[in-house]
Amino acid sequence: MTTVTVDNLSKRYGSTVALDAVDLTIGVGVTGLLGPNGAGKSTLLRCLATALGPDAGSIRVHGFDPAVPAQRTEVRRRIGYLPQNPGLYPHFTAYDLLDYVAVLKEMTDTQRRRAEVRRVLDEVELTDRAKTKVRKLSGGMRQRLGLAQALLGDPELVILDEPTVGLDPEQRMSFRALISRIGERRTVLLSTHQTEDVGALCERVVVMSGGRVVFEGGPKELAGVAEGQVWLSESPPVRNTAYWRNADGLYRTVGPRPDGAEATRPSIEDGYLLLLGTAVATGAVR
Amino acid sequence: MPPASEQSSDAELLRAIAAGQTAALRLLHHRHAGWLRARLRRRCADPDVVDAAIQDTFVAVWKDAHRYEVTAADAAAWLWTIAVRRLLSALRGPAHRWLSGPAAELPDVATTPSAEELVLLGVEHGALGPALDRLSPELRHLIEATALDGLSVREAAKLLGIPEGTAKTRLMRARTRLRELLA
Amino acid sequence: MTDSWHIDTALLSDYEEGTLSPSRVMAVEAHMLACAGCRTRVPVDYTWLTGNFSVIYDNVHAPRVGPLQRLLTRLGLPEHRLRLLTATPALRWSWLAATAAVLGLAVAVSWLDWSGAAAMSTVFLALAPILPVATVATAYGPSADPMREITGTTPAAGPALVLWRAVAVVGVAVVMAAVAGLLLPGPGWFAAAWLLPALLLCTGTLALATSLSLPVAAGTLGGLWLTGLYAVVRVVRDDVFVPLVFGPPAQFGYLAAAAAAAAVLTLRRRRFDLGESR
Repeated sequence: MTTVTVDNLSKRYGSTVALDAVDLTIGVGVTGLLGPNGAGKSTLLRCLATALGPDAGSIRVHGFDPAVPAQRTEVRRRIGYLPQNPGLYPHFTAYDLLDYVAVLKEMTDTQRRRAEVRRVLDEVELTDRAKTKVRKLSGGMRQRLGLAQALLGDPELVILDEPTVGLDPEQRMSFRALISRIGERRTVLLSTHQTEDVGALCERVVVMSGGRVVFEGGPKELAGVAEGQVWLSESPPVRNTAYWRNADGLYRTVGPRPDGAEATRPSIEDGYLLLLGTAVATGAVR
Repeated sequence: MPPASEQSSDAELLRAIAAGQTAALRLLHHRHAGWLRARLRRRCADPDVVDAAIQDTFVAVWKDAHRYEVTAADAAAWLWTIAVRRLLSALRGPAHRWLSGPAAELPDVATTPSAEELVLLGVEHGALGPALDRLSPELRHLIEATALDGLSVREAAKLLGIPEGTAKTRLMRARTRLRELLA
Repeated sequence: MTDSWHIDTALLSDYEEGTLSPSRVMAVEAHMLACAGCRTRVPVDYTWLTGNFSVIYDNVHAPRVGPLQRLLTRLGLPEHRLRLLTATPALRWSWLAATAAVLGLAVAVSWLDWSGAAAMSTVFLALAPILPVATVATAYGPSADPMREITGTTPAAGPALVLWRAVAVVGVAVVMAAVAGLLLPGPGWFAAAWLLPALLLCTGTLALATSLSLPVAAGTLGGLWLTGLYAVVRVVRDDVFVPLVFGPPAQFGYLAAAAAAAAVLTLRRRRFDLGESR
């Protein structure tokens, strides 16, 4: 089922093009938005979250158009949004902060609101920190609190901008488990520049570069982009888009075959690097 | 402080609660709420009052966990004394809600070290059991309230809806009668 | 002793149904207190357990309700609205302290310097209406709310939220200015004379903010007010100034203008959107 439709979306900041005629459809499940810094990921997410109005093009979230003020509220009723810089009030306790956002999300019944606050605190394993002020929470805890507020009200579309930043490996694991669970019923759209996140939890990947969508498909397909173009050799290649030395001392190359190299199975990262390399070569990256 | 888990002892949980861990409070609640409810329900017919008493108990535990001393009492017994007093203050006196009572330490009657051993002895050997059963309900209720529930005579009187003086007299009569029955 | 005997299911259900003899009830209860194993054997419905705990959790973690909040709730303000008002980002101690300091200084100076007391009171009357307006400017906007990306994309974001926040800051500022006014030497009505101009400036600012940014709107109207007063001072004699600007006809004018501004605000309220920045 299609949750989000983006059609010809464009946004500029002065002379900088942030989004360049983006077309996209997103449905239930976890979709990862992958791309280097400045690729337009945050701008796209902010437009979808109704934090930013685009210059051209249209967005539909569950059929509602955020450009129309009356429908914008309907969109907001259906989304949970974790911005890149949430700016959570430092003097609030975790509980108060969630309670406040829950009020803003129109949960007027005190009992039900409290039950919901408790539920999301549990989900992100912050139950014990309910009374801790935001300023005393660690970076990872703040990130989880930010995630918790996005989950309030069990929204149909969850938009997460760089949600795994600041999480340690263990927290990353439980975060992935939580997001996968939500993705079973809801649409989750998250941005990241970590290919591991994509491989571990996304059913679909959208790769962005220079304000454009350069790839749309499953993680396997993304790896498949580099099929027949990833090589292992014993000596460093002379010319190629990218190479590095892996754990067993071999040189891994993405691109044309270096002399004496053997083909190997591509990873998501290989596909991603190759795509970005192509994007650079075709001039799509600023 | 290690995080509380299902394997933590009651005393460990109480220490964790004193340190502000809500997860420990939840574990303690889930561990003890069941039997507390069963036992409180024997004393109060209104399930809402019982549920509220249990809630009051654990809110009090959250605030007072630091006062719990491992050496002083078993955590279950400590919880019970809080719970029964919470129920008492919720009931505010009316005796009609009080269904049946609990058992006894009976310090005058026996020299056995603890209440449960005494009562179990009584049941097994058929001595104390029949004696308690033969006690008139009004006398037995006083024994139950004071000895097993750990209430003071004043609290027991309030609970049973009788004057404190009457409660004192009845308690003395109950003890005398038990001695006779056990003789 | 406790090892030799345990509570089995049959005994437990007899206990719960109340069919045991009194002494066996006592035995069960005494044993339960001593035996953790038998305690866990008491069947308990998980739904009941979580429901019962949720109330405890709220009790332990939910924010304490202060006397002021209780009063406002009793006056009919819903609890959720109260949460919104008290969480207004501008309502911080730093802001309260700054407002109090300004007002306190005005009052202190007017008491210390008897010769200039009348002039100082006039200055107070001129400045007091500006204060709430300055605070309205902090009701929303990028500088006022670090969490605006989140608050601005919730369904509550919009005119209602802006107005509630404005009401919160203006309310507090007005109360503080009113207290300061009562402490001023001079005729008693001074303490209230600035209220209608303040109302006009606040509603006017919000009405203007439907097309300008809030700080600009506040600056414009505040500037107009001060320039206007300055012009009047230049033209008329000192003893005519206060009756002219704060007398009954002028007050009626302020009220009418404030009503007009409120009408504009109502008509154009859709223009308020916390989230969208275009």
